[in-house]
Amino acid sequence: MSNKNSTYAILEAIQHEMRNDPHLTMLYEYQRPVAADPLGNVIDLYKEFGDLRIPDWGPIDEEWLLGGAAGIAMTGVRAISHLPSMTTVRCFELVFNQVGKLRHMTGGQVNMPLVVWQDASGRRPGSAGQHADAGQEALYAAIPGVKVVIPANAYDAKGLFTAALRDPDPVIFFQYGAAINGVQIDVPDDPYVIPLGEAAIRQEGTDLTIVGYGPAAVEINKAAPDLKSFGISAEIIDPRTLKPLPIDPIIASVRKTGRLLVVDHGHESHGTASEIIARVAMAVPGAKFGRSTFPDAPPPGAREMIAWMTPDAPKVVEASKKMMQA
Amino acid sequence: MHEDKSETVMTPDEETKRPARGGVSRRNFLQFAGAVGATTAFVSKARVASAGNGWTTSLDDFPKEKLVGMYRTMLKSRTWEDTFKELFLAGKDGLYGAFHMSIGMEASSVGTISALREDDYIASNHRGHSHLIAKGGDLNKMSAELFFKQTGYNKGFGGSMHITDVSKGILGMNGIIGPQYLFAAGAGYSAKVRGTDQVAVAFGGDGSVNNGWYYSGLRNAALYKLPMIAIVENNGYQIAMPQERTNNLRNLSDLGAGLDIAYETVNGMDVLAVHTVMQRAVARARAGEGPTLIETKTYRFMDHSGLAGAKPGVLGAFGLPYRSDSEVRAWIAEDPIPKLRRQLIANDIITDAEADQVVAEVKQLVDDSIEFARSSPLTIPEAGLENVFAGTSVKASQFVGI
Repeated sequence: MSNKNSTYAILEAIQHEMRNDPHLTMLYEYQRPVAADPLGNVIDLYKEFGDLRIPDWGPIDEEWLLGGAAGIAMTGVRAISHLPSMTTVRCFELVFNQVGKLRHMTGGQVNMPLVVWQDASGRRPGSAGQHADAGQEALYAAIPGVKVVIPANAYDAKGLFTAALRDPDPVIFFQYGAAINGVQIDVPDDPYVIPLGEAAIRQEGTDLTIVGYGPAAVEINKAAPDLKSFGISAEIIDPRTLKPLPIDPIIASVRKTGRLLVVDHGHESHGTASEIIARVAMAVPGAKFGRSTFPDAPPPGAREMIAWMTPDAPKVVEASKKMMQA
Repeated sequence: MHEDKSETVMTPDEETKRPARGGVSRRNFLQFAGAVGATTAFVSKARVASAGNGWTTSLDDFPKEKLVGMYRTMLKSRTWEDTFKELFLAGKDGLYGAFHMSIGMEASSVGTISALREDDYIASNHRGHSHLIAKGGDLNKMSAELFFKQTGYNKGFGGSMHITDVSKGILGMNGIIGPQYLFAAGAGYSAKVRGTDQVAVAFGGDGSVNNGWYYSGLRNAALYKLPMIAIVENNGYQIAMPQERTNNLRNLSDLGAGLDIAYETVNGMDVLAVHTVMQRAVARARAGEGPTLIETKTYRFMDHSGLAGAKPGVLGAFGLPYRSDSEVRAWIAEDPIPKLRRQLIANDIITDAEADQVVAEVKQLVDDSIEFARSSPLTIPEAGLENVFAGTSVKASQFVGI
């Protein structure tokens, strides 16, 4: 048990599964799966499992990394496809028309034990456009037949990755930059599972329900002390999985608080915030709703612009205050 | 039986002048193939199935069961598709949905797949009935799937374009062009990880070489020396667009040179030539020598999809705007099924009566499969919510609740 970052926690999960499954294979490009914990322990999957199951520095060819891994998975061998952040939807067509549809289209014949480990940059300054994106998880969550997971801390990352690896269906696992070191938390050394589709209630409260995942959950966590100091009793929920979406605990919470604020680093239109609010609105008539999202614009490079546009902790506090006055 | 109507027949002298590979236009290829066909028909006692271009294959190289098996399997595919063609035209069974026939291309599917083992993989495309039948697909389940019945291979979820039998290594037909190359490379990778000597084969048409997944699948199979074989069944048309207007290459296998992998172009109307080339590719794959790219020059006698130009009892689709009827007749003259039958009978491998017996047996199997499909139950509408994820159903959302 120590304060590991998300990448180390994920490699721990993969290492454990690879030791128990002699065939589990990961295709990836440019970044060897190596990480160290604060105690100096190092996990080097390439060194431990060799060039066949962790083929070194694969080609810059995301269609291969995903399509090849899908081919591996179709033969009953579990596979991981690790894709870099700027290619979040490069293989979207393969997920949309193949990975998500094959089980259904074949009458249940095709198992797809595939985890797409998708790096996600999030709204960082200095990158601009392609390298500062967020919100693509909503595109994947809109596809039938794929599960979508987004941890906000290292503990969740490990437990959800293990669950994803043991799932017979394809899972898109988003690892946001903000979630790598965003929330410091102890991570057990032994393997454990966080079932897909279970929300985490981070803080109980009675005035306002605040929902966010991934980088938004990191910002909500940062806002929590300020909310308290302003006398707002917030119930904070991190769904952790967008598909299946654990809507019931959110509905139960809004029935209690009467107010729902959804924070999302994805865009305003057709994003996850809209979906969550729609579902809760149909279940809890009369409740008050608000959302704080990144505007419908690509991310600019300059720090002043992107920081102003990103729903961060101060904006969460402002939005919460407004909702309490409404 | 159709007469050979190709205008020019090359002499054996001209044949020997031909370079070993490349530089053959589609029209010349057909004339050349015609010459080969004529040769095998008349010089039958030479027991040579095909000649020239490195495809020379003696019937002596194959046991009788293998030869008769290929004949039977090609016939199975032809008869099954032809029967469905007639059913669609008759309109009595209320058939609907996509239907891409392989009629004319059976030597390509049977020649290649008969060189595989049952535990090898194939990733097929939209024109894949023939691949499935060659890989041991069950006609009853195939027919029932075309009727969208519960007893179909895909339980009515898929239809003609998506028939799959994972238990037989059939990773599925697929309605999208190109992913087969990635899936087969991945399946080959899986075989390598598991330490088996299984082989994975991707099928695509001449149109499928035009997108990036083709290059990606082959390139990575080459990089990792995967037991993967790509079969490009070049039937000359990407839907209605002739090959010369979609590709700068004449022989599509030439891409293999740039990838530094084994590659061959073969007469796709000659099942034994195809089989011989495929045997070499399979041996390379099992020996860990990496992928092979095979182009089979072939032709679909019918339209790209559906029944345009088709008539009851007539082999081939005529009057189509993008190809001439004489071209269709020239390729029908190369029909691989009567060609093999002629060879088998001329070389005393089977008698005419035995060949007729095979025809009758196959017809019975196909007819039985149609009866099976007709008498099978329709799907239950609510079942459409199943099989999205393993072991669960999604919820119905089309009815407004209060």
